Order: sequence, then C-alpha cells, then structure tokens
Amino acid sequence: MKLGSGKNGLIINIFSIVGFIFLWHVLIVLAREDIFNIPFMRLRDIPTPVETWNALVGSMFTRIYGPALTYGIINHVEASLIRVIQGGVLAFAVGVPLGIGMGYSKLIGNILNPMVEIVRNMPPMAWIPLAIFILVSGGSIFIVFIGMVFPIILNTIYGVKSTDPRLIDAAKTLGASGSGIVMKVVIPSALPSIVAGLRIGLGVGWMAIVAAEMVIRSPVGLGYFIWNMGDLGRYAEMVAGMIVIGVVGYFMNISILLFQKRFIKWAD
Amino acid sequence: MGRLILKSVSRKFNNSFAVNDVNLEVNEGEFLCLLGPSGCGKTTVLRLAAGLDTPSNGEIFLDNKKITGANRECGFVFQEYALFPWRTVRGNIEFGPEVKGMQKEDVRQLSQHYIDLVGLTGFENHYPHELSGGMKQRVGIARAYANNPKLLLMDEPFGALDAQTRNIMQEELLRIWDKEHISALFVTHSVDEAVYLADRVVVMSARPGTVKEIFGINLPRPRVRTGPEANELRNSILKSLGAEIKKLMLQV
Repeated sequence: MKLGSGKNGLIINIFSIVGFIFLWHVLIVLAREDIFNIPFMRLRDIPTPVETWNALVGSMFTRIYGPALTYGIINHVEASLIRVIQGGVLAFAVGVPLGIGMGYSKLIGNILNPMVEIVRNMPPMAWIPLAIFILVSGGSIFIVFIGMVFPIILNTIYGVKSTDPRLIDAAKTLGASGSGIVMKVVIPSALPSIVAGLRIGLGVGWMAIVAAEMVIRSPVGLGYFIWNMGDLGRYAEMVAGMIVIGVVGYFMNISILLFQKRFIKWAD
Repeated sequence: MGRLILKSVSRKFNNSFAVNDVNLEVNEGEFLCLLGPSGCGKTTVLRLAAGLDTPSNGEIFLDNKKITGANRECGFVFQEYALFPWRTVRGNIEFGPEVKGMQKEDVRQLSQHYIDLVGLTGFENHYPHELSGGMKQRVGIARAYANNPKLLLMDEPFGALDAQTRNIMQEELLRIWDKEHISALFVTHSVDEAVYLADRVVVMSARPGTVKEIFGINLPRPRVRTGPEANELRNSILKSLGAEIKKLMLQV
C-alpha cells in the first residue's frame, strides 16, 4: 500500500514509524538492564535504533583501512540493483513474448503450460546450488531471472486472455488481422497486467538477489553485506543493511506505481 | 453501392438455430431497422453481415461480393461502444486508416473531418473513460465512418443511453447519415427508435429468428415522433412484435 493515503494518512504514518522506533529502543534497553526480556530471545544483542543509525552512516561509503578495502552500503546497493536490473531485463525479454504466445495461442499454451506450472513452483532459492554448479558467472543474475520470469509470464498470460473480445471484433471490422490485432489490440490491452507482473516480479527478484548473494559469494551485494556483518558479529551494520533492503524495495515498488500512473492513464 | 443481400441465411449454435432462413435486402442508401424480441438473433444477423461470424447455411453478398471473413467495407458500431481505452478520441478514429497504411497527414486530416462531423471538436485528446455515453458512441460512429465503409452496421448503439440522450443521438445519427449517405442496418428493440429512424422496419420472429414482417416507413424526415402516421405505424409494428414476444413468454 502507498503511504500517506486517506485523511491525515501521512501524519499517522510518521507517528507509527516514530512509535515503532521508540518501542524498539525501549525493548532493547529494558533487556540490557535485565528488567524485561522476551523468553528465549537474546534481545540485548539487537542494536538499538541509534546504534543502527550510526552503523548505517558509518558504513555508507567506501573506506580503506590500510591495505584492506571495505565497500560502503551504497556500493552494495548498487551491485545488487544492477544484478536485479540485469536479471529483470532478461526476465522481461523472455517472459513477455512467452506470456503473449501462451495466452494468445492455445497450441503454445498447451506445449509450455506443463513446464511453467511445475517450474514456477520451485522457489528461486532452490536453484542456487544448480546455479553455482553450472554457471561460471552470473549465478545471482540467474536467480533473479528465475524469480522474476514467472510472475511476468503469468500476468502477461492473464492480461492477454482478458482482452475484451469486442475490441478484437472492432479491430477486425476496421481491417486489422493477425499480427495487427496482436500489436494494436492484445498487447496494449495486456499492458497494465504486464506492468503489474513486472512489479510483482521485481519484489520477488529483490528477495531472491539477497538470498543468492548470501550463498553465491562475491565481494559486493547487500546479501553478502548482511551475511558478512552477521559473521563478524557487527549486528548494527547487519540490521542497517536489512533496513536498507526494505527501503530500496519500497522505492522500487513506488517507482513502478508512478510509472503506471503516468503512462497507463486509461487503466482505471 | 452498399447493397446487402442475405440469401436464406441460417446460423446454428450447439445444434439449435439462432437464426433460420433469413432472406433480407438492404438497398443502396437505405436505412433498415431490424426489430425483434430479445434472443431472436438480431445481433447474430449483424455479426454475420460484418463477417465476424460465418453462416451455417446460406450466403451473404455486399455489392455482389460474397462476404467471407471480416471486411472493412462494413463499419460496425457496437452496443457498449467497444472503444480502445488506451487510445484517445483521435486515436480511436484513426485506427482503421492507420491499419490501412494511409499517410500520416492524410490520417490526421480524415480524423479531424470526422471529429468535427460528429461534434467532438475540442475532445480530440480525451480518453474514452473521460467521456459520457453519448460522446463515446459519437466516437464509435466516427470510427466506423473513418474507414469509408459502404454499409453501416449498428448493434443497439444507443441501448445503454438514457432516454433524453438517446433521442439526441438518434437526431445526430440522422444528421451525420444525411451528410455522408451510406446504407445502414440498425438493430434495436425499441419500436419508437425504429419508426423514427428507418426507411423500412423488419420485424423478426422469436428464436429461431427469421423475417416475419416488413413495414415501409414513408414519412419525411425530420419526423415528428408523436405524429398520427407515426403512431399508427407504431401500433401495427407493436402488434406484430407483441405476437412474437407472447410466444417467448409462453416458453418461459
């Protein structure tokens, strides 16, 4: 959901964020002072909001400590985003034509449906071992591709199939046929669904990249960063990295929604 | 030009006839209204004439050319407008000429002509969802006309409009039709509409639909809706139609 919707929406949103941060702080402080602790949890090890903020600021940019280089969070964000974009472009280029074919032609649909229906139930993370095994490089990109391609295919199929048959009739009486109908009626009509598929896919891809980067090691990437910080016991940096993942994902979603609003005005 | 002939046309759906043995002629430049109880296959006849559907038996000719498949000689105006929601008023009207591969400037000139003709000047860049029902159907009519058809096929085009808008649109249709005169086949379930618009009114029987009776309407236009001759015609058409509707009621 979009933030700031409804009466006083934004004010309530701000209060809720402030309230959450306050609650977080109080819980950690209480646990550290041995006043209150949630059973079976080591709340005292969680960084406070202030510690997290300092870690975030402190690790935002690249630092060089002697001979060692530490990448800043922005480098990790950049690396992860680039992989998601690469995987996403690939998923879009493969998923949209496949979805159009499967939605428009019963034959193509029948041929590809069994594979799509089985393969789409394999989570992207299940592909990680195989990706490591068979791919020389670009394993993370492949995982993003797997995560994104199925939402795009399925939404494209849905969009194509829900093309109003009267619009196809109208196009026919106006002289369109075959490819003309696909290009001028089916694809524009499916466009809102395709963009919705892209938006859902991007969410899945963003989750997949973090998981992939934890396993498929490379020196940069948000997944690598939080795993590495956890390993080193630098929990403040780790939590800061987690929050960055959420914030970046949020802005990716918002930017697609804005794109939708700006360029697909007619779809309401 | 624009002479439509249906020769003993039938159309079966799932082994039951929607229309059976329809013989019908729309003469050059004639405005023909097709009237019938609901489910009698009026729309089927229209779709067959447009080539959107193929008859199970019989043949359909437009200017002595047999109709096989959708063709651009027929301009179709749909009941629920069927405008392309992603195209503006202008974009909708330009669809046909664009598909035809006309030059851009010519397309623009043509669409402007029809935008002006149907009274949508100033609304060129509006999207369908920004228009009222009457305006949408003005776009529908302009879009059909822009393809330079010989025959206008209209499937209850004003069925979704309120009574006042409907009357205005009927007058508007006749005004446009007077300026660019082509044959017209107009499906409706409103006797008033048929008597106001048509040169001839064809009453169809209940399903399976076939031609039951034809009424000539030789009243000068613009017609007075409540004139004595119109009332008399309305009475006899209603009687003919009423018998069919009664049959339908007994089945229910």
